[in-house]
Amino acid sequence: MEALGRAGIFLAQSAIGVPSREGWRLWLQQMHFVGVLSLAIVLVSGLFIGMVLALQGYTLLVDFGAEQALGQMVALSLLRELAPVVAALLFAGRAGSALTAEIGLMKATEQLTSMEMIGVDPLRRVVAPRLWAGFVALPILTVGFSVVGIWGGYLVGVEWLGVFEGSYWSNMQSSVSFTNDVGNGMIKSAVFAVVVTWIAVFQGYDLIPTSEGISRATTRTVVYSSLAVLGLDFVLTAVMFGGL
Amino acid sequence: MTDAPFIEIEDLYFSRGDHEIFRGVNITIPRGKVTAIMGPSGTGKTTLLKLIGGQLTPDKGRILIDGQDVHRLSRKALFILRKRMGMLFQSGALFSDLDVFENVAFPLRVHTDLPDPMVRDLVLLKLQAVGLRGARHLTPAELSGGMARRVALARAVALDPELILYDEPFVGQDPISMGVLVQLIKRLNQALQLTSVVVSHDIKETLSIADYLYLIADGQVVAHGTPHTLDTNQDPRVSQFIHGEPDGPVPFHYPAEAFYRDILGKASIQR
Repeated sequence: MEALGRAGIFLAQSAIGVPSREGWRLWLQQMHFVGVLSLAIVLVSGLFIGMVLALQGYTLLVDFGAEQALGQMVALSLLRELAPVVAALLFAGRAGSALTAEIGLMKATEQLTSMEMIGVDPLRRVVAPRLWAGFVALPILTVGFSVVGIWGGYLVGVEWLGVFEGSYWSNMQSSVSFTNDVGNGMIKSAVFAVVVTWIAVFQGYDLIPTSEGISRATTRTVVYSSLAVLGLDFVLTAVMFGGL
Repeated sequence: MTDAPFIEIEDLYFSRGDHEIFRGVNITIPRGKVTAIMGPSGTGKTTLLKLIGGQLTPDKGRILIDGQDVHRLSRKALFILRKRMGMLFQSGALFSDLDVFENVAFPLRVHTDLPDPMVRDLVLLKLQAVGLRGARHLTPAELSGGMARRVALARAVALDPELILYDEPFVGQDPISMGVLVQLIKRLNQALQLTSVVVSHDIKETLSIADYLYLIADGQVVAHGTPHTLDTNQDPRVSQFIHGEPDGPVPFHYPAEAFYRDILGKASIQR
């Protein structure tokens, strides 16, 4: 409970405020580290997941002669569930752990303390750009995941298994609602972005500054983020699609 | 310039967990002088600097810097006060993502609007003073411990602060740079009328530059005075430390049970 309180104050002190020109530059730099450098793993995973979905979906649907619904199935699975959740899990492993280790090492080598003594607030200079980069990068990565996943489904379903291309796209178009499916998926992704980045950055800032402390905090980032994402996904799905 | 002391530490108590580090410490640091705080390892000298810098909060007592109570300031006011201080860390604490030049330029870039050519000149002047102008393109990982500390000193004085806190500045310096560093601290103090606080246990070097010394042991100030008065002090705790004697009231060994019991074990003694 005490740690949650500290984490709350930490978030409020670092995330709220108007960035300076230097702040924008630092944010862009972090967008590169947490966003652009996570692009490869997220897109490749999206492609494979879309391909697997199409393969599994086809074998199931073809028994009922409903393989025309493949596009709809792939798109809804990705937009509502798999893209926000899997992208967030990958993001926690790729970018979250790196954020924790980087900030933790800065703390262990007294870089944060020396920054404070120079009269620069590390919450504004180090933490805020990383938090905001995470908040913005993950939803964008999620969009990329969905797009590539749907294309992967097309490759397997249409190009390989021979589903009629027209029905793949038109069924998808007619059944996917922008607000309900795309919108809710993006809301999920935004929530996961805040939670995962918050956990990662706070774990780095709050760790015990030893090599063992850094290793434990990095592990905690991945474990807590994954559990938080999966738990919150159930809650959000229940609210959005379960009629709660 | 007034004669009022720059830093006043009044009745300071601080503990970490059950371990009491300071028990009623009173220290006055005069303006424009070099004040040394000495004591055996583990007496909390670095902790004292962190308390002065407002990074730690005392359990009791207060610390006034130029009349302002450090621990009653708002976060913003504390950061404004810190612009008037420089601190040299034991490890150097250079920013590992910036090279030597940018490390020294960092305080200038964040706190001033100086144009780039002027920042460059100022940085090179500071690096020249610590003898590392040629190392400006190196990264902190390429520096030795002693060099990193000298770059950190250049960074600490980049904004020409009124107060500099030195945490063990002489550790790990070779004899040549040690001599230069001692001179540099002295010269900086005299030329810029800085107030300097040096935390150290290098007795010879510290005695040679300090105007006034405080000796801390067991959480309290055990003696204070000019280098000369401490050198001739008859208190066994003071003379043991100043003359580096292994036997005396300050034990060399960390508290432990009797050596023979530890080695032979309780069972063998009973038999």
